[in-house]
Order: sequence, then C-alpha cells, then structure tokens
Amino acid sequence: MNSLKVFALFLSLASVTAAQKEVPLPKDLPPYAAEQPLRAPAVQSSKLDNGLTVWLVSQRGLPKVAFAVAVRGGFAADPADRPGITELLSKTIDQGTKSRTAKQISQELQAAGGDLSAESSKDFMQVSTAVLSSKVDAGLTILSDILQNASFPDAEVALAKRNLADSLRERESQPSFLAARVMGKVLFGEHPYHVTAPTQESIAASTAADLRNTYALRARPDQAVLVAVGDFDNDTMLGLAKTQFGGWRPPGGAALPPTPRPTVPPQHAVFVVVRPGSVQTTLQLGTLGPMRSDPDFEAAEVANAIYGGTFSSRLVSNIREDKGYTYSPGASLRTYRQAGVLITRADVRNEVTAPSLNEITYELNRLATTTPSDEELTKAKRFLVGTEAISLQARSAVAAELAKIWVDGLPPDEIGIYSQRIAATPTAEVDAAARKYFPAWRSAIVAVGEEKVVRDALAPFGLPIQTMP
Amino acid sequence: MRQLFVLLLLIPGVLSAQAGRIAFEQFTLPNGLRVIYSEDHSTPVVSVDVWYEAGSRNERPGRSGFAHLFEHMMFEGTPNAPKGVLDRVIEGGGGSNNGDTRYDFTEYIETAPISALDPVLWIEADRMKTLDFSPKNLENQRKVVEEEVRVNVLNQPYGLFFAIDLPGKAFDTYPNAHNFYGDFKDLDAAKIEDVQKFYEQYYSPNNAVLAVVGDVSPDAIFARVEKYFGTIPAQPTPPRPNVGESPQKAERRSSQTDKLAKVPALAIGYRMPPRHSSEALAAAVTGELLHNGQASRLYQALVKEKQVALSVDGGVNWPLGAPFEYNGPTLMTSFIVYPPNITQDHVLAAYDATIKELIDKTASQQDLDRIVAKMRSDWYDQLEVPISRASALSHAVLFDGAFDAVYQIPEDLAKVSPAQIRAFAAKYLVNTNRTLINRVPAPGEKGAEKKPGAGL
Repeated sequence: MNSLKVFALFLSLASVTAAQKEVPLPKDLPPYAAEQPLRAPAVQSSKLDNGLTVWLVSQRGLPKVAFAVAVRGGFAADPADRPGITELLSKTIDQGTKSRTAKQISQELQAAGGDLSAESSKDFMQVSTAVLSSKVDAGLTILSDILQNASFPDAEVALAKRNLADSLRERESQPSFLAARVMGKVLFGEHPYHVTAPTQESIAASTAADLRNTYALRARPDQAVLVAVGDFDNDTMLGLAKTQFGGWRPPGGAALPPTPRPTVPPQHAVFVVVRPGSVQTTLQLGTLGPMRSDPDFEAAEVANAIYGGTFSSRLVSNIREDKGYTYSPGASLRTYRQAGVLITRADVRNEVTAPSLNEITYELNRLATTTPSDEELTKAKRFLVGTEAISLQARSAVAAELAKIWVDGLPPDEIGIYSQRIAATPTAEVDAAARKYFPAWRSAIVAVGEEKVVRDALAPFGLPIQTMP
Repeated sequence: MRQLFVLLLLIPGVLSAQAGRIAFEQFTLPNGLRVIYSEDHSTPVVSVDVWYEAGSRNERPGRSGFAHLFEHMMFEGTPNAPKGVLDRVIEGGGGSNNGDTRYDFTEYIETAPISALDPVLWIEADRMKTLDFSPKNLENQRKVVEEEVRVNVLNQPYGLFFAIDLPGKAFDTYPNAHNFYGDFKDLDAAKIEDVQKFYEQYYSPNNAVLAVVGDVSPDAIFARVEKYFGTIPAQPTPPRPNVGESPQKAERRSSQTDKLAKVPALAIGYRMPPRHSSEALAAAVTGELLHNGQASRLYQALVKEKQVALSVDGGVNWPLGAPFEYNGPTLMTSFIVYPPNITQDHVLAAYDATIKELIDKTASQQDLDRIVAKMRSDWYDQLEVPISRASALSHAVLFDGAFDAVYQIPEDLAKVSPAQIRAFAAKYLVNTNRTLINRVPAPGEKGAEKKPGAGL
C-alpha cells in the first residue's frame, strides 16, 4: 500500500482521476509528465573563530546578492516591563553607528542598489538587504558596521519612539492587527510568546540606554548567522565575511537562556475585539500545532493543505467558491523556535458571521474525523513540494528561509529534506496529525468587529464569550 | 477556423553573457497570439503569464469594477473543464495561479513544476476558447468580489483612497476616473450577458500575449503553443477606450473623513507625461528619487528632518505597477501618513519645499547614480523570479511594443541627466498639475481626540 501510494504520487493525472469522486477531469486534458527532481539550494556552512555561523549559497545568473543576518533574541526575550522593545530595536538599529549617520547608511546602501530591512519576531531580529553583485563590498561593510557598531543616537531614538507610538495607533485601526494581538494573548497566556507588538507604555518607557543595553546582550557573533545567496564564488564570499565580521567579539557573560515550550492549549471560547464601524467580522481560529522539528510537522502540513492551505482546499471551496461568504479565507501552520500554531482566518460580511464559523468548525472536524481521499492527499503533497521549490526561486526568500531554519536550531539541509519528508508522509500519519491538531474544540475563536453583531451571531454556539480589552 | 500550417515569425534570442540578459524568443501565431519565451534551467519549473488588453479603462459607465469581476469569472470553468478543475489541475501539479486586473490589461499567471507544463497550457488555451457562462457562478463571484472590496477598502483604514479616490479627482474622463474596484450598485447590475459580451470583445488570441519562462527547450514550447492555441480563431480587433484628458488648469483639493482610521493621511497626485514622451524616463527617476526608501528626499525631509510624517510611499504609477509600466494617463502619487498633532499645512509646507528644491537646485550626478543603481537593482529583482520575469516581458509588449525593452530599461534610466530631472520637475511638479486629498479620522474617533505630543 505504501509503495503504491508513493508510486501514485508520480503517476499521471489520468490515473489519479479514477479514484476521486469530484467531477471527472476533461477527456482531452493532457497528463502530467514525469516529475523532475527539484533541487534544493546547496548551502556551504562554516563557522568563524568568533562563533558566527556563515551559510553561503552560490547562485549564478542575475548580478545580485541577498544578505540576511539573524540575531537570536526577539519579543520572547523582551523584559517583562518592556514588551515589544525588539520592534523599537529594529526601527533604530540602522539609525546610526559610531562612524555613520542614518542618512549615510541609507545613501551608501542605495548606491549599492539596496536598502535595509530590519524585522522583529518572537525569537529573533533579522537585518537583510540585497545589493548589486558589483557592490557586494559596500553592502557587507554597512551590514557589518550596523551589527557591530549600532549606536542608537538619542535624537533618533526619540523620533523613532514618537513615530512608533503613532504607527501603533495606525495599526490598531486594522482588524488583522487587532486579531493577531488578541490571538497571541489567547494562545500563549503569560508565556513570553504572547507578545506580538509593543504597547504605548513600553514604547514610552524605553530609553536609548535600554536599547543599547538590550542590543549589547543580544548582538553577539556566537548567537548570529550570516546568510548570503547569489552571484558569487563561495570562497571569495567567505573571505569577505571573515574580513568584515571576523573582528566582531562576543561580550562577556552568558547568551540569552532558551524560551520554554508552551504546553497549555487555548480555551475553546470566543474572544471578541470591539471595532465600531466594521462591515465585516474578522474571524480567526487558533490553536497550538507542531514545531518544525516535531516528527509530525510534515504530516500536519499535508493535513492543513487539504483543509485550508490551498485554493482548492475544502475550506476555500466551501466558504468562498460555494457560499461566497469571504474573499481570502485560509489556514496556515506557523512555527517558532519553541512552538507551532495552526491559524484559520476569514474576513466575512457581518450577516454571515455565524454560518461562516459553522462551516469552519465543520471542516476542522471533518478533517479530524475522516480520512481524506487519495486525490486530496496526492494533490496536497504535490502542491507542498512544488510550491516549496517555487517559493525558493528568489534569493532573498532563500536567505530569509535559511536564517529562520538556523534560528529554529535546524541544519541547513532542512531546506531540502522538507520536500522529501512531505512526499513520503504515509496517510496514517496525516490522519493522526489531523486528529491531534484539527478538532474544532482545540481552537480559540477571535472575532474582530461590531460587538453586537459578533455576540448575537455567535451566541448559538454555546461557547463562553468574552470581550477583550 | 483550423490552422493547418503555422507560420512562425522567429526573432533570434539574445544569448549574450552581458549582465542581466536572459535568452528569449518571440513569435506570433497566425491567429495573432504573440508568444514570448525565456529559457531558464535554474529550476525545473515553468511560469506562464497570459494577458489580455482589457482592463478597468474598458469598463462602461454603469459597470464600474466589471473587468475585475470578469477576471474572477475566468476561474469559474468552461464547458470542457467545469468549475474547480483549473485549481485542482494546477495545484495538483504542484503549482499555483492568480489573476490581476489593471487599468490597461488583465493577466492570468501560473507557476508550476515543469511536469505540469502541458496541463497548464491546455487550461490557458481552454479558457481562451470559451467560458461556462453560468449565472450561478456569476452570483457566487459577485459575492466574493464584494467581500474583496470590503476586506481591502470598506473595512480598512484609508480605504485605498490614494489609489481609488485620487485618480477619480485628478482625471475627468470615465475610463481614467471611475472606481476600478467597482461601486456595489454597478457590480450588482452586472449580468451574464455582460460577461459574454466582454469575453467576445476582448478575450481573443489577437488581443493577448502569452509569456512562458521555464526549464524547457524553445522547440518544445513552439510545438505545444501551436498545438493548444493554434486553432483558436482570431476576432475583430476590439475597440480601445478613449483615454484622452483635457489639460488640468488648477490645483484640486478635497478632504474626507475616515470612520476607521486613527491617524490622518494625505495623498498628492501629479499628472504625468505620456509613457512614450522624452520626459517619461525623467519622471520615473524623479518619482524614485523622491520616494524610494529611507534615502529618498521625501523620507529624509518629511520623516527625518522636519518630522511632520510617519511614512511616505509613492512614485510614478504607484501602487499599481512599476514607474515605466503604464499606457494611458497616470499619476505620480505620494501617500503620506502624518501624526495627529500635525496639520495638513505643515506637511504640505515641507512637501512643497522638497519639490521646490528639485526645481531650484539641479540634482547632483551622484544623487542620480545612487537612485539609478537602486532602480537597476529593483528591476533585476523583477527579472529574477520566472513568473515576475514572464510578467515583465509580456508587459513590455503592451507598454513598449517590444518585449526586449525589459533589458533596455536600466540602460535608458542611466542616461537621464540632472538637467532633464530639473526640466521635468519644473514642468510637471507644479500646483496647477496636482490633486490633493486630505483624509482625517472622523470626529469621535480616539485618534482624533489625541492630545498633541501624547505618546512621547
């Protein structure tokens, strides 16, 4: 049976057709050709004497190089009275070094064809850029200067605080931001992973000195990875990395302690975020899922692709293509160093808030209780394998993916193993993952919208309903 | 109309090792379908882009948003391949697909492992032949599109006013000025006969371009394109909308209130020169000089030096395309979000000073070299990923008449001189050529009550 399944995966569409119950495929539709092996990027891994990990992927072609540097320590490492300070750190990391002003940094990078992007997340902060390959030296020089010599000038920090406070207000007018913030609290409770953004209080309380201290604690070569992907020769690039980053010294003292793994599943209840004037309810269902390093991660990915992770998935077919409740529903697994989450989202017009939740609940439970068809399983696996290769066509995407793999504590060849594991996942494991993670009772429900609309609509489900601040 | 013999008009590919150049071929089928192919063996993947020269400018009064609603119907099946087949075949082949409606065209894109090449081309050819004109599917997609408008416009702060309302105020003729996402009364009025008529008028091989980028030989592509698309009959050349505008004579200002926003924003749009004028390249460079990244003049002046803005975005043809990807009238748009304790006048004073400097003081060659390096780098990003390369190649046919313009663009940009920038700015970046909309939180919203200086 197992070998048959693997065989079927590589067969033409015509033979898959026989097993499925949907409308038959067109008679003259040509079959798929034999699959070509999808090559994963080849990563050369090294470690400098100061402990900096360097992952290089040489890809010839267009004359560009993408860089990403990830430094461990994100929202989960923020002091309890400074939640989200990592975001302020990422807004100010490129606003001056010992020898360059913010303007000089941005102009020198622009002359190299790049600009700097600094992102904060739960486990790490990432600084990335992509430059013309003729200007690699200039790009690396700036990156190295920022990472080793960021000075967080007082005036720049004061401006960044004001602007971050106002942009937080701006984001608070977006339903997706409000939903994500409450979902963080609902999923993780007091665990440090609950932080998704700074607060007005933490922004106001943070000083330039706080940023310098936090940065000094986190920005150390033995807790960082440099990834370069693009048009270069590996030996030359490694030499440049040594020149630019070899003098980076780790501070005395221990690195950040690891974040504990959250274990308590969220409450199966409705959490309402009041947003007056909403013409839709922003619905999100969330629960804990597998981490990337868990043995059932790939099985859960296949299950999710069948449930709501693709356009032809059950959820999208049901609430969009059949019922027209929503434009872009979907479900995804997201992973962090110490946790995974399964999130379903749908923005639905106010009048169909209740039937939408009913259908989402139905599709979660259907997946958890019945075995998918062979066509669904084959399609899901082929989709995940194919789109993984497609998503890694951009060098900046390869750099970001490798940086995240390193932060998650996995080896660089994870980038190729993923697809092999997906293709080889037995049906029984998909069923087990569906049963473990997908039952609707495991999920918390966050609903952003008009309070009366949401409360009236969701009352018949008999779940506890509370309005969140 | 059967084609027994296919005449291929082959243009030899450029195979030079010159930086940024990629092999390509172009040919035209007898039915008028223009085909562009770029061979790329970096991954065993194929990307397909088909565009039809019909966009929101082709909509008639009373049918705003119809081109986009129609785009959705292109995914709703045909008599041969009913609803659901397209996604099953493409996703089951390991790929994904999407569609985009713009002012001048509507495009359909797929990327999939090369093993799905035949089914993908078959699917595109199938929906170029006919559609399932189903009233039930139209009803379903009308609802989906209305949810799309809610999620992107009606339930969002700012409601894309810089992309929908600003052109509406800046232009006077219906094709350029109407709401491309569509008023609900117009979407509700659309009938299956409209779908049928639009399809017959615009969705023909002679009104389309097919671009393929992938891991397959040119011969293999020629054979397949001929096999799947060669028998689709050509149709009469569709009418083109009249997009002409009479010159703007005075600045246009208006204001809006926003029930959802908590922070005010200002949008400014200047009418731009035609794409094929000598000034268009200077416009593209100026737009980026003003808006591209932290090094840009508006970011430096408004966010950093004068501290009257939280963010500045924009450029020529922004946000619906690259600064050289337009056909009819377009704007250079600036979208500025500013702190609640700052007034529109403060923001404008800083903005006008930045524009004035561009006119009074010639930009240095160094300034230009920097932004042109960035634009070249951004353009390479566009060409890097096969699906966006397919898009760029096919857009070049529409906007520049030849696909190889994509390789010429960085070279042309590098020739723009400081004097050309200054002359462009002096002629186009003037108050009588611009439209402003100031959008502020509606009274009673928390953002509007915020005290100056709060949050420090």
